[in-house]
Amino acid sequence: MAAQETRVVTKFLRERTDDSWTFDAARTHNKAYSALEKAMGMEPAALIDEVTKSGLRGRGGAGFGTGQKWSFLPKDVFPRYLAVNADEGEPATFKDHMLIEKDPHQIVEGSIITSYAIQAHHAFIYLRGEFALGADRLQAAVDDAYANGFLGKNILGSGYDLDLIVHRGAGCYIAGDETGLLSSLEGERAMPRIKPPFPAVQGLYAAPTIVNNVETMSTVPHIVREGGEWYAGMGVNKSTGTRIFSVSGNVERPGNYEIELGVTFRELIDDLAGGVSGGKKLGFFIPGGASSPWLRAEHLDEPLDMDRAAELGTMLGSGAIMVFDETIDPVLVAWRIAKFFAHESCGKCTPCREGSGWLEKVLYRMANGLGRPDDLDLLMGFGNTISPGVTWPPGMTTICQLGPSTMSPTLSLNKYWGEEIRARLAKDADRRTTLQVASA
Amino acid sequence: MGRLSGFRVTLAQVFKPKVTEHYPKEKRPKPERFHGRHVLNRYEDGMEKCIGCELCAGVCPAKCIYVRGADNPPDAPVSPGERYGFVYEINYLRCIHCDLCVEACPTEAITESKLFEFSFTNREDAIYTRDELLVDDEGRARRQPWELWHGGEDDRTSAWMRATAPSGSAEFEGRVSWSGELGFGVRLGEKGQSEESSP
Amino acid sequence: MSANAVPMSQWPSDHRYTIPVAGDQDMVTVTIDDKVVQVPRGQLLIAAAQEHGTYIPRFCWHERMKPVGMCRMCLVEVEGMRGLQISCATPVVDGMVVRTESAPVKAAQDGVLEMLLINHPLDCPVCDRGGECPLQDQTLAFGPGESRYVEEKRHFAKPIPISDLVMLDRERCIQCGRCTRFAAEIAGDALIDFGGRGGHTEVITYPDEPFSSYFSGNTVQICPVGALTAKPYRFRARPWDLDSVETSCQACAVGCRGALDSTSNRLVRLLGVDSEPVNHGWLCDKGRYGYEWVHSEARVRAPGLRRGMELEVTSWPQALDAAAAALRRVRDEHGPGAIGVLGGARGTNEDAYAWARFAKGVLRTDNVDAQLADGLPADVVLGMPRATIADLDRARAIVLLGPDLKEELPVLALRVRRAAVDLGVPLIDVAARDHGLTSSAAHVIRHAPGVVQEAVDQVASIIDGITGDGPVVVVLGRPSVAEPAAATIHAASQLAKSHGARFLSALRRGNVHGALDLGLAPGFLPGRVSLDAGRDHLSATWGGTPDATGFDATGILRAAANGTIKALVLVGCDLLTDFPDRALAREALSAVERVVCVGAFPDDSAERADVFLPTGVWGEQAGTTTNLEGRVSVLRRKITPEGRTMEGWRIAAELAARLGSDWDLETVEEVQDEIAQAAPAFAGVDAALLRRARDGVVLPLADHLDEVTFVPATPGAGVSWEPLRPAADEVGNGEVAAPPAPAVALHTWSMEAPAPAAAPRDSYALRVIAARTLYGNDRVTSESPSLARLATSDARLLVSARDRDRIGVEDGTVVRVTSPRASVELPIHVDRSTPEGFAFLATNRDGAGASDLIDLDAPVTDVRVETLS
Repeated sequence: MAAQETRVVTKFLRERTDDSWTFDAARTHNKAYSALEKAMGMEPAALIDEVTKSGLRGRGGAGFGTGQKWSFLPKDVFPRYLAVNADEGEPATFKDHMLIEKDPHQIVEGSIITSYAIQAHHAFIYLRGEFALGADRLQAAVDDAYANGFLGKNILGSGYDLDLIVHRGAGCYIAGDETGLLSSLEGERAMPRIKPPFPAVQGLYAAPTIVNNVETMSTVPHIVREGGEWYAGMGVNKSTGTRIFSVSGNVERPGNYEIELGVTFRELIDDLAGGVSGGKKLGFFIPGGASSPWLRAEHLDEPLDMDRAAELGTMLGSGAIMVFDETIDPVLVAWRIAKFFAHESCGKCTPCREGSGWLEKVLYRMANGLGRPDDLDLLMGFGNTISPGVTWPPGMTTICQLGPSTMSPTLSLNKYWGEEIRARLAKDADRRTTLQVASA
Repeated sequence: MGRLSGFRVTLAQVFKPKVTEHYPKEKRPKPERFHGRHVLNRYEDGMEKCIGCELCAGVCPAKCIYVRGADNPPDAPVSPGERYGFVYEINYLRCIHCDLCVEACPTEAITESKLFEFSFTNREDAIYTRDELLVDDEGRARRQPWELWHGGEDDRTSAWMRATAPSGSAEFEGRVSWSGELGFGVRLGEKGQSEESSP
Repeated sequence: MSANAVPMSQWPSDHRYTIPVAGDQDMVTVTIDDKVVQVPRGQLLIAAAQEHGTYIPRFCWHERMKPVGMCRMCLVEVEGMRGLQISCATPVVDGMVVRTESAPVKAAQDGVLEMLLINHPLDCPVCDRGGECPLQDQTLAFGPGESRYVEEKRHFAKPIPISDLVMLDRERCIQCGRCTRFAAEIAGDALIDFGGRGGHTEVITYPDEPFSSYFSGNTVQICPVGALTAKPYRFRARPWDLDSVETSCQACAVGCRGALDSTSNRLVRLLGVDSEPVNHGWLCDKGRYGYEWVHSEARVRAPGLRRGMELEVTSWPQALDAAAAALRRVRDEHGPGAIGVLGGARGTNEDAYAWARFAKGVLRTDNVDAQLADGLPADVVLGMPRATIADLDRARAIVLLGPDLKEELPVLALRVRRAAVDLGVPLIDVAARDHGLTSSAAHVIRHAPGVVQEAVDQVASIIDGITGDGPVVVVLGRPSVAEPAAATIHAASQLAKSHGARFLSALRRGNVHGALDLGLAPGFLPGRVSLDAGRDHLSATWGGTPDATGFDATGILRAAANGTIKALVLVGCDLLTDFPDRALAREALSAVERVVCVGAFPDDSAERADVFLPTGVWGEQAGTTTNLEGRVSVLRRKITPEGRTMEGWRIAAELAARLGSDWDLETVEEVQDEIAQAAPAFAGVDAALLRRARDGVVLPLADHLDEVTFVPATPGAGVSWEPLRPAADEVGNGEVAAPPAPAVALHTWSMEAPAPAAAPRDSYALRVIAARTLYGNDRVTSESPSLARLATSDARLLVSARDRDRIGVEDGTVVRVTSPRASVELPIHVDRSTPEGFAFLATNRDGAGASDLIDLDAPVTDVRVETLS
């Protein structure tokens, strides 16, 4: 039987495509803020327990236990802040985009519940600057929430106050890193900070801060409404619940698919996304956004399980699955991704700042028939400075994950096509020599 | 025989070819790497090669070179780049013609000619300044009245010689820069922001 | 933004992001490269390693700034932690095992350097840093032999000026963020930051604002490459040409320690030395580039003697004979009281002592004043309970009761800012207008000039609310020369009595504290003793002292104007520029019979001189200087003076000899030894001690003996981009014999200061605040070409926008400004710092201005402003 979507977070927005973002529709047809009403009757600690019980893991990329993260806040240190990471910048990821535009109330509700759970009185949604429509709808949702007493002073008569601020970024990939986001929110250049101190200890304005992804926030109301055990009942192993995967590239039906974790890549790509387009064979695919190392056809039957992905030397990351058919040159893809990272490196750590540009230049000449025989080894050589060992999970010499992420494509090239590429580079070099001799 | 036996060596020499040279009317050609009086070179466009970096002065074992740099006037630059040799003096009373200055020079600005016949009647003359050391518009050494130049002595000055390549590996001997010549991996340089924004 | 959202102004403002940078007292055991060492818990690994002889390479980390972790050069292996750690942001914990030379660490160092160099232009031969460049040095020590990078490097237009003093070469920049962090964290002028991303990250200024910080030169010093170069030093010399001595800066009274470099007998550079008690390695731009005036063409380098209208160049014996004869004649005919000696606050302590001995021991006049009515009474300065600069860091509260420190004592402003911003000491700003430290203040109290009672009451109640066991430190100076010091002193006396406040003097002139300490003040003798108390003690060495207390500067000039004083000796002061009441100065100079000028420049007062005796100046003269906390530190001679100048103390000794008193002093050390023996406050501070004390000694030595450091320089330092370690001439063992107690009880301030009568406000007039700015028409600025460009030499009347509009003129319009004393025409400008009802006038400006308007007898200076029509 063909795999099906398991819609939890996306159920409502898929069903009411015309007005799912409006307060009335969400309130009437999606029981929006009903979870909040329930949560206000609970103790914050009980909420954290419930989320911990659900096994929900952060949907932004690192996959850290959400409840666990909340419980790391130092006791009795106030104020605390919540920052919702809506700076979805990972190439080929478009799930948050959809959630923000189509169901902003779900995010707002989740943010309020989370703020209550961690006892924060200020919450921020750091929105990617390019999301113009999303900004309008999210702001409208926040305004509606204020107007209806779900935000502001004395929420639902509970005595709990919360202000939620939507902040639009200025277009910077690194503002999606949690400390980079906090710097940007403070009005500084979005550059990651050294850790420790971790944001949970000294985050925004040096106060304890929780940074969560939009999808995580959207999931929280459902967990509160239906209970943690219900959520934990879905999924596989330690990857519980459902997750939205953005499938793109050479597939028949690219798009966002919310599935129960544990479904295999084959089911996702072939059954839901309609298989590789044009009836071609699968070349390779990127399982978790541009940062993650790649997988090939032999991995199609692996389940979508965060821990299994780590065993395979990659990650589910932001849930962006890019599919490439057999005709695509992996070196060209690697170059394009490297170019993205070279452009988006914030410039703070030397290996990433200088290395990402160098990587891009070498991959450029490799992809364009100008490579030198030892170029792949050169990449693996200086890649060691960016990510010692060039493996996954990566060794780090940089502050944030962007540094080692730049090496993911190269790592994959070397792993799957190493001999092929070396031979091709040697041939390229030979061809050029021949040309030179001929012209001379 | 007895009387002539004492002249045996003398007589034997009479019939051999003469080795005496009529110096200074005639001069033997100098060895290729002979170290003579210095010259300061120019580029073909007339710009001075000296950038006033003082490496020659720093390396000089006799401490006979005095250099001071200055900001290149932007409207009439003396040398390419930011800095030029504002003062350049060599005290020939101290110079031992070791050629270390030539090796140290990063721009081949200072080289040594084959001239060694110059003597001074006062100490002032022994200190050659930039005016005397700098080659003229034709690239020829400026001849001072007390210097005895012969033909060709200013033709070939000492070459720039390196024991190893700049990168430290003898494999790259002679390849001063290996970015452009190899023919691969070459793209136009990326522009800096200021270049893009400036008209 | 939603109407319900919280306005940004109400967001929590305390976003100080803290990283543990200093250790506490507990010692923990750490193993660094198999060496077991004891270090304070929480100290950063990189610092702990360096203190124990392991140098971890670094670019971005600077020990006076917070770690940022940008360069990744200091990666080390820590047992039990995954991957490599940056040692600049890793605090030590007990039992830590660290390896700094293992294979992964070396690979990382090698790799990071390769990365740093791929876009570095390697134009070392033309780079000012070449030869002392940390990037060169560390590449040699830790880097790869060759690069694998064959592509085109990054290109930028270079160099570009980012301020009038600093040039930026973005190609050389390795993006360590030292300069941007210095500007934001230390100086508080966040005028440079990073722009661009990735490989094109560059240091930028704001489009409409240059990097015009008073501290911009520090960024050049701490730059680990040649990306930032200083215009005054550009291409002047290469590092191997330089010869260096450590000395103290005398541009103001902070006395920052610096390394003074010269080549070919020309001063070319001053670098800050990291002196823990004083300047932490920082210098202001005026001090840093102010060495240029030493080589000014305008300096007088030969003695001059008036013949007719002209000062003619003459020989020293003739000039000295003439000066001595003139003074002897006035003394013999009119008594010692007919001679006045003014100035002496710009030389060395030895000069000050010699002039004091000459005036008080030889001429026997007490009409001596080193201050020119622009400071505080010597009675207060010499007798007040003192604080040191280091006390700021542990103070219960800091009260600013004086001038704008950023304009007058810039590095002290940095120390105050550090205490307030980094260490959280409450800063209470009491002033008439906003200034450079207002933004760092916890409490801002504004008052009208001359009216401080209300403000003092507020300060007292604020301090009462602050708990803490440190002292209350009051930075006490003269906020404005437009009114007498009485109000400020009254305020100080109240704080001293009510809260036991300790004082940090904010008098500005280079060695004014040394001059006062050594008796260049009426009623005092060298060593902080009053004339009456020290008479017997000093007479034993000097053979005599003045009979009666004399006049201060204002009194001397008044007496000169009315003919009581017949001869003036001006020691390095220009009355017409420095004295706040120009009319009085002019009158006095024209009335007096004989003027002996001792100085370096042919200034306006020197036009009136009968004899001009040129002195050597800072950099040409060895000796000691005393800073505002009473710290005596060593000044070293770096260059041989051009021309025929003579050290100041030697001139005094020569004149004394001609007046029949042979002092038998041949060297500076002999003068120092005599001071230690004769001046009670200097007991124990002899030449031998001064040579060994690294950061100098604070007077009186008996109270500060444990603060004296004899420790020699630590290894791993010595390049200019690191904090330069103060060097000691001799390696001391830290022991010093207990100094003899002062032979005479030192003067103490009675703290009796009557409140001045409140001056009524005239609602039609603007009340003048007159103070100095850092750059003006002073000699250090105007004779240093690099600084002269920065100075605005024209006088301006600065008023609030409201007052300007009330007068009804445009910015820059020339208006008539009338005080009871005079009327001058000045352009009017709007100034955001000046409150309504007040007007600010900088005093160090050319032409008509503040000193024409100020009447020293008036309690305040009110002016009326009229349009010219």
